[in-house]
Amino acid sequence: MIQMNHVSKNYPDQVFVLSDISLEILSGEFVFIAGPNGSGKTTLLRILFGAERPSSGEVVVNGMNITERGFDKVYALRKTMGIVFQDVKLLKDRTVNENILFALEVTGHSRREARHRASEVLSRVGLQERERDLILNLSGGEQQRVAIARALINDPPLLLADEPTGNLDGQMTMDVMGIFTGLHRNGTTIVFATRDVDLVKRYPHRIISLSEGRRVDARKDGEVRAGE
Amino acid sequence: MISFLQYAMRQAFQNIRRNLFPNLTTIGIIGISILIFSALTLISLNLSSFLKIWEDKIEVIAYLKKGIALREVENLLRKTRQLEGVEGVKYVSPFDAMAFLESKLGNQKNLLHGIQIGVLPPSFEIELKKEFRNSTRIKEVVFQLKQFPQFEEIQYGQEWVETFSALVHILQLTQWILGGLFIIGIVFITSNIFQLTISSRHEEVEIMQLVGASPAFLRVPFYMEGVLQGLLGGGVAIFLLYLLNKIFFLYIPLPIQAWLARVPIQFLPPTMIFWILMGGMGLGFFSSFVASMRFLRYT
Repeated sequence: MIQMNHVSKNYPDQVFVLSDISLEILSGEFVFIAGPNGSGKTTLLRILFGAERPSSGEVVVNGMNITERGFDKVYALRKTMGIVFQDVKLLKDRTVNENILFALEVTGHSRREARHRASEVLSRVGLQERERDLILNLSGGEQQRVAIARALINDPPLLLADEPTGNLDGQMTMDVMGIFTGLHRNGTTIVFATRDVDLVKRYPHRIISLSEGRRVDARKDGEVRAGE
Repeated sequence: MISFLQYAMRQAFQNIRRNLFPNLTTIGIIGISILIFSALTLISLNLSSFLKIWEDKIEVIAYLKKGIALREVENLLRKTRQLEGVEGVKYVSPFDAMAFLESKLGNQKNLLHGIQIGVLPPSFEIELKKEFRNSTRIKEVVFQLKQFPQFEEIQYGQEWVETFSALVHILQLTQWILGGLFIIGIVFITSNIFQLTISSRHEEVEIMQLVGASPAFLRVPFYMEGVLQGLLGGGVAIFLLYLLNKIFFLYIPLPIQAWLARVPIQFLPPTMIFWILMGGMGLGFFSSFVASMRFLRYT
């Protein structure tokens, strides 16, 4: 599903943000990208959804080689994945339903189709009762569930999540993780970036650890891997 | 395709409603620019049609030298009729000329008492073919006439035709230079206003890019917004010009009104209004296109 071969990323006059990263994520996997702030997690995800171009190396996502990012490729790529962020990126002055309908319409669904699909994805995250509520009136956890619902509109086989529980308290984090676990159980590949070590320990998923832009993975049994 | 167009149209209207002030500013700028351009077009159009009417009445009067024999006059008449650009020639004898002058003087014709008929020279009134009734080609006919030594003087109101024609050309030139400057100005100002509206909608744009909206979904509503603004700006300009035109005729003094009644003053014809509106739409589209090329790139 995802393959990165010797990927590095640096900005002009800056040190490497990512250095010689190689990894492979198989279809149906749930993988944590773990590491402290500034370790390169977000840059890695941004490369995976085509917002950044690697300085060197090769990236293949969902069968598309996105190393040489082209305008056409990016939107085609993003239709095959869902993306969730810590800062939810929702239209706060609109209702839950309007947020989902907007995303559906701009991806080419007809109004009727969009209404049907919106209630479907909202029921998957347990928010169908709140579809008429403004985003402003929702809790942080609920807002993140709306963001997940929006990420599911294209029924993507891959979900990228960048610190989706970063702003949430314990119970809300558990609720959101419950949704991700359910999606994973149904076959969705999930790449979950987080700095929360406790959260990573609680789930039996593979961990790719980053530190200062390099892979420093440790298996659950404590073995440190230099790369895959 | 239909649902896409419906979406783009709906988005364009929503964008205008949500960013009412910048949109009204854009419509106003386009409207004022088109109004000035249309006003110049209207003036130029009317002067041109006035010039055309005047040109249609252009004729050349060639005065004959005194003492030319009648047989020679007939021979000259035949030769003049054969000249290129000449439609017809009428011989005006001194007697006819005096009768014309008397009719022109009306009640004051007694002023001519005591004046001998022979004072007025005989002349040819030369009617020109349609394509020769302009300040450039009339000279070709005059040049040919000047080759005949029997003519004393040739008159055709040259200065008047040339001055009027030059005035119309200067006006048309001003119209197009101003039009060109307005186009550059409109594109610069409105594309910057579009940049502001795009910035105010950056959250929507970011979401569209994240969920994989195609470039068409991202950009076409902005293009439609531009086209709508151009259409509204053009419409406002035409409407204001129509009102100004009406007001102008209401407030001008009566003697001028009476004089103008003899001249066929016209408003912009429908085809010209159509092209002005199309031009406005084109300008709006181009401005939004320039802004989108700079600020609606996929990230």
